[in-house]
Amino acid sequence: MTDAAVSLTSMEFHPQPQPGAARPWAFPAPERGALDNGLTVLRCHRPGQQVVAVEIFVDAPLDAEPEGLDGVATIMARALSEGTTERGAEEFAAELERCGATLDAHADHPGVRVSLEVPVSRLRKALGLVAEALISPAFDADEVKRLVDNRLDEIPHEAANPSRRAAKQLYKELFPATARMSRPRQGTKETVEAIDAEAVRAFYDAHVRPAAATAVVVGDLTGVDLDEVLAETLGGWTGKPAAPRPMPPITADDTGRVVIVDRPGAVQTQLLIGRIGPDRHDAVWAAQVLGVYCLGGTLTSRLDAVLREEKGYTYGVRAFGQVLRSDGEGHGASMLAISGSIDTPNTGPALDDLWKVLRTLAEGGLTDAERDIAVQNLVGVAPLKYETAASVAATLSDQVEQHLPDDYQARLYARLAETGTVEATAAVVSAFPVDRLVTVLVGDAAQIEEPVRALGIGEVTVVS
Amino acid sequence: MPMGHTATAEAGSGGLTATEHRLANGLRVVLSEDHLTPVAAVCLWYDVGSRHEVEGRTGLAHLFEHLMFQGSKQVHGNGHFELVQGAGGSLNGTTSFERTNYFETMPTHQLELALWLEADRMGSLLAALDDESMENQRDVVKNERRQRYDNVPYGTAFEKLTALAYPEGHPYHHTPIGSMADLDAATLEDARTFFRTYYAPNNAVLSVVGDIDPEQTLAWVEKYFGSIPGHDGKPAPRDGGLPEVIGEQLREVVVEDVPARALMAAYRLPEDGTRACDAADLALTVLGGGESSRLHNRLVRRDRTAVAAGFGLLRLAGAPSLGWLDVKTSGGVEVPAIEAAVDEELARFAAEGPTAEEMERAQAQLEREWLDRLGTVAGRADELCRFAVLFGDPQLALTAVDRVLAVTADEVREVAAARLRPDNRAVLVYEPVEGPEADENSDEEEGADQ
Repeated sequence: MTDAAVSLTSMEFHPQPQPGAARPWAFPAPERGALDNGLTVLRCHRPGQQVVAVEIFVDAPLDAEPEGLDGVATIMARALSEGTTERGAEEFAAELERCGATLDAHADHPGVRVSLEVPVSRLRKALGLVAEALISPAFDADEVKRLVDNRLDEIPHEAANPSRRAAKQLYKELFPATARMSRPRQGTKETVEAIDAEAVRAFYDAHVRPAAATAVVVGDLTGVDLDEVLAETLGGWTGKPAAPRPMPPITADDTGRVVIVDRPGAVQTQLLIGRIGPDRHDAVWAAQVLGVYCLGGTLTSRLDAVLREEKGYTYGVRAFGQVLRSDGEGHGASMLAISGSIDTPNTGPALDDLWKVLRTLAEGGLTDAERDIAVQNLVGVAPLKYETAASVAATLSDQVEQHLPDDYQARLYARLAETGTVEATAAVVSAFPVDRLVTVLVGDAAQIEEPVRALGIGEVTVVS
Repeated sequence: MPMGHTATAEAGSGGLTATEHRLANGLRVVLSEDHLTPVAAVCLWYDVGSRHEVEGRTGLAHLFEHLMFQGSKQVHGNGHFELVQGAGGSLNGTTSFERTNYFETMPTHQLELALWLEADRMGSLLAALDDESMENQRDVVKNERRQRYDNVPYGTAFEKLTALAYPEGHPYHHTPIGSMADLDAATLEDARTFFRTYYAPNNAVLSVVGDIDPEQTLAWVEKYFGSIPGHDGKPAPRDGGLPEVIGEQLREVVVEDVPARALMAAYRLPEDGTRACDAADLALTVLGGGESSRLHNRLVRRDRTAVAAGFGLLRLAGAPSLGWLDVKTSGGVEVPAIEAAVDEELARFAAEGPTAEEMERAQAQLEREWLDRLGTVAGRADELCRFAVLFGDPQLALTAVDRVLAVTADEVREVAAARLRPDNRAVLVYEPVEGPEADENSDEEEGADQ
């Protein structure tokens, strides 16, 4: 240290600077409207954002998939960009890329999302292609067969990925076998094999129509006559009026237990600890966001302070809450979870520490300093987080999909700032009660089973 | 304070400008104003990466990057993270072959804090660096290696490909994550020496981009960084120059517990910063970028022999760049069938070049990627540093897209013919331990997107 100290002598140190005055920033308020065909439109002008983001949400939830055809919503979403009555799959992809655009379509529990990003100069053309895909998809039998085969090829890759494997097991454990949520979003080998063009067409006919959809358009719209662009593109979409689909109740068995998914020879154990909790409609959400951040939002949060920065057991463990589905009537649910990877020999000690962190939190609560830093971070990063059009569009579309008001995110920041330490503590403690957590460990059972049993954190079963 | 020239917006820079400055201690500073959002990005590139590492100490540059977050004279332990996040900022650092970067994106009114923090560790890291943080971060980095490379199927493919494409002893032969043995062997003294050798103001470029007052920003930079002494003890990195083509087809077959066969290959391509590298980027985009590329159309759509097929480009300035082919096979398809199809497509492309429409598509894709990169203050700050460190001129960042758009179809064909040849690639083949059919009895555990 002595020679280091010598080299320090020439640097002049200054006290930590104090912040200047904050420039006000607010989450953008979209303008809401509708086209004659019933399509809801949210638009938001973001100066300087030359790449425009369009998110189209269609109320076609996974629970609407016919029995035995899990994955048909996914195949349908993918098939939308695989050719229309006007042009084949290759030409469609080529035309879209000629616009410099990216298009992604996927199906999740709440419905189907189609996401377009394109430089504003080519918005009209790209949105025209997206409209074509929604209005007149070809669903050619051979293309659908190709997508089905491709999906079947993906399945073993997912099974071999520790975090995907852990998630699949956790959903299976938590939800009753009859619930769509207990099964993989994109289907299993058996159900995907049963999907054909006819099934895809039937799902499309039953659910995809403008009255059941919302388009969110965000970007620098200077000089763009968006009404005209929409009229010429998505305005041509027709379909019957749609009544909102009732959402099936969401229940979960969070009896404390451990399931080890055996992965012989694994050098790390992938851990995923979860249960379900309230959605954003619940008044506790802001306090829960705050408390969960203090528990595991970053590497200075409680979990990583011990597991990473003190013990070095992991590259990082995170706690999070992620909405699964909402109906706007208070029946929705979110997944509350802790995830990370631990080196195999330290799996037992790391879980022991993790439980200690949760117990200590329940006994002593959060400190005011922790709460303050969390609020400052969560509220302060908003202008950074929402710099791009795509991030704003994604959040607005999430709000639509979760039946939240358009000013939800803006008000959430105000609520976070008002939430105190006591509320945040109560929320995170009830989010992660030590005896109501389902723990999935994807790892080498021969090495981790005994140490995990010894912890007494619930019945331990091993599956392959 | 020595002031640099003030740049005016160049044609094609999208109206963005940047100014350059240099402190007396050698620190280069690049500023770019943009008041659309009340945020400011601070980015600091140190001209040191894994190519500077010596034998037996692979991974040291990256391990050291972790140590930069463990406190300095005025910043305790995890204070750097705590202070930035508590100020509503986000931050991180990354290490590559050619550089190590550190960045904070802050609400405008907290910009000064980020500058103070970066200066404190540039000038006084060794005051806080101790055995405890060294041992802890060694374990963290080893777990990072396990999580990102060792515990996932095909996780070490990139490492194997670079080891094949750049010969033993070449500075790019090993990747930044390093080997477990070398991570274990690194000592506190190694870290101290590394800092003293490479962490100096005259071996760094600082960019500040966003809602800033340039004069005030420069005054802060001078105040916090100006007294840090520069030094010239840095050894030049080992020469990364190699013949343009490998001259033979290198090959490694890996039998591992992977879910499907795979064909991967690394092609030696022109160095970053050259027109030929931009041409190569366009060639790889036409051949293997996106859903309308030739390889996707051939292997995934028509032959239906692959789950996914694509090309990626790793741009390198100090050695040949690397074009990375990645094809995962479908069902029971064997690798030779894929390889023959790839060769056929590459040979056809080398002979005929891209069509006008393919050029238009590839250029539109790369243009959007550039708009995305420059569309955030953090992305712009990083690119300004990149061009300043690697090519000596940050202004080049603002016109990079024009250079991609200026490349002709003939240049694309030329680089493909010269470089995308079987005798200029290192091939990596994955064969599952058991045949893919062996998975049939474990349907139970297949498939999850959750």
